[in-house]
Amino acid sequence: MMNLRSGLLGLAISACAALLPAAAFAQATAQPPAQPAADDTQAKRQAVQPGNNAPVWREVRSGDANYTSIKGPETGVLIQPQAKFFGQDTMTTAGEAWRKYRNGPVTFYGGLLVVLAAAAIGAFYLWKGPIKLHQPPSGRLVLRFTALERWAHWSMAISFCVLGISGLVMLFGKHVLLPVIGYTLFAWLTMLMKNLHNFIGPLFLVSIVLFALIYVRYNFPSAGDLRWLLSLGGMGSDHQVPSGRFNAGEKGWFWLSVVVLGTVMSVTGLIMLFPNFEQVRATMQQANIVHGIGGVLFIAMSFAHIYMGTIGTEGAYQGMRTGYVDEEWAKEHHELWYNDVKSGKAAGGNAGGEAKPAPAAQPQH
Amino acid sequence: MARMKFLCDAERCIECNGCVTACKQEHEVPWGVNRRRVVTINDGVIGAEKSISVACMHCSDAPCMAVCPVDCFYRTDDGVVLHDKDLCIGCGYCFYACPFGAPQFPQAGAFGLRGKMDKCTFCAGGPEADKSEAEFKKYGRNRLAEGKLPACAEMCSTKALLGGDGDVIADIYRERVTRRGKGSEVWGWGTAYGQGKGGSAPAPAGAKS
Repeated sequence: MMNLRSGLLGLAISACAALLPAAAFAQATAQPPAQPAADDTQAKRQAVQPGNNAPVWREVRSGDANYTSIKGPETGVLIQPQAKFFGQDTMTTAGEAWRKYRNGPVTFYGGLLVVLAAAAIGAFYLWKGPIKLHQPPSGRLVLRFTALERWAHWSMAISFCVLGISGLVMLFGKHVLLPVIGYTLFAWLTMLMKNLHNFIGPLFLVSIVLFALIYVRYNFPSAGDLRWLLSLGGMGSDHQVPSGRFNAGEKGWFWLSVVVLGTVMSVTGLIMLFPNFEQVRATMQQANIVHGIGGVLFIAMSFAHIYMGTIGTEGAYQGMRTGYVDEEWAKEHHELWYNDVKSGKAAGGNAGGEAKPAPAAQPQH
Repeated sequence: MARMKFLCDAERCIECNGCVTACKQEHEVPWGVNRRRVVTINDGVIGAEKSISVACMHCSDAPCMAVCPVDCFYRTDDGVVLHDKDLCIGCGYCFYACPFGAPQFPQAGAFGLRGKMDKCTFCAGGPEADKSEAEFKKYGRNRLAEGKLPACAEMCSTKALLGGDGDVIADIYRERVTRRGKGSEVWGWGTAYGQGKGGSAPAPAGAKS
């Protein structure tokens, strides 16, 4: 049973590594520098060179478990086995390799990525400003997201924000917040963040599965996606390439973040969250690295989505907040979907058209 | 100022677990937590069985200290690596990083939820006032403040486990090696204290056998 468990964990973690190309790292297994002959045991060495304990010390460095009366995972291991992460030159003790990778590239390039992504979004806003409607709103509303769809989106979105912020505090807080707010307050804050991270994490996992199940059928590639991508989502021109319910950018975000990163983060997160399944330190070190890289990618990418869904596109936030968008908005942003709704092919329709007041009369949130 | 170090002589350790028991008794360590353990290599093989007692080695370049997200570790003037349980968030990163498996976590809830980390203090307590009730409750007895050395090493029946000023214990071990003519390798010394740079004493001299 335990072997099966660790086997499954190993499988899960390799699947994760394969899913996340940027983190395609390999932690090589224990490989002591000088391989002794197979029969070079301490018992034999003792016979020819009494007092020469070289085979025993090799055993100590190997990271293999030996006998101990203290029960627990890896208590029989004296020194962690040697390992190196992708991009590292030399083998070191696994914990040391992990430390160098986490404190090194993950923290440095991860932090750089998050800052640059935020700066790029800010610069884009200053340069282009929000995408406004070309025509005045028609005043007729179309149902774009049902209550279930909105619930799925917001439970995922809110839990994502909690996880993202708490994750950032745990990875970068020591360098950014600690010097400002001091040890006591920072430790209290990070404790809170860790607990939020641990308890919201599984919630996020459930919401991501729900979200994917509800939305997956609208996110398969369709005709026009390629043209939309080639036109960069209509950034260069006044008119967008017509798209269905979701455009190619939204579809890409769905597959890359919700499906791929969501899976990677969930699996690696669970490995670290439940340390009571006999998983060894090496597994948790690998999970932590993938989780860290996946996390900063997720956060950096989310900036673009959050921007487009709020201040970047007029009327988009209202769509997910209330479920209704203006007909003019639907026509300009998702023309094919709008046509389907009008002809009755797509669900939702303009049920709210007459019943709902015009957007101008609605309180703005 | 002395640089405190541990050293375990594998030629002398008889796997009595006296050090483990002494530690648990001295500090009233909670159930399920063992700050020290004895590992036996080639268990039961005549002439080849060697045992080593291991706990926190109070490393010169401590990995736990480097990875702690709240920076709760500190080093005393004696080179002892201690931590502040009021700051510790129980994330387990020190446990990932430590080569020796020293950091211990009492289970604080269901599903393996970690409590505050606990580890060997070299019998030097914690950040609270020396010999105070609060210090004893969180970290155990502060024997260094009482002018004593770690209980495990003091209790060792064969004096395999040495704990104290690195220069002194290195001299003791060097003399043993000279008498034996063999066995200059010291458990964990190179890993924990580096290769003689940065003020840490090098491994006791003697040609590698």
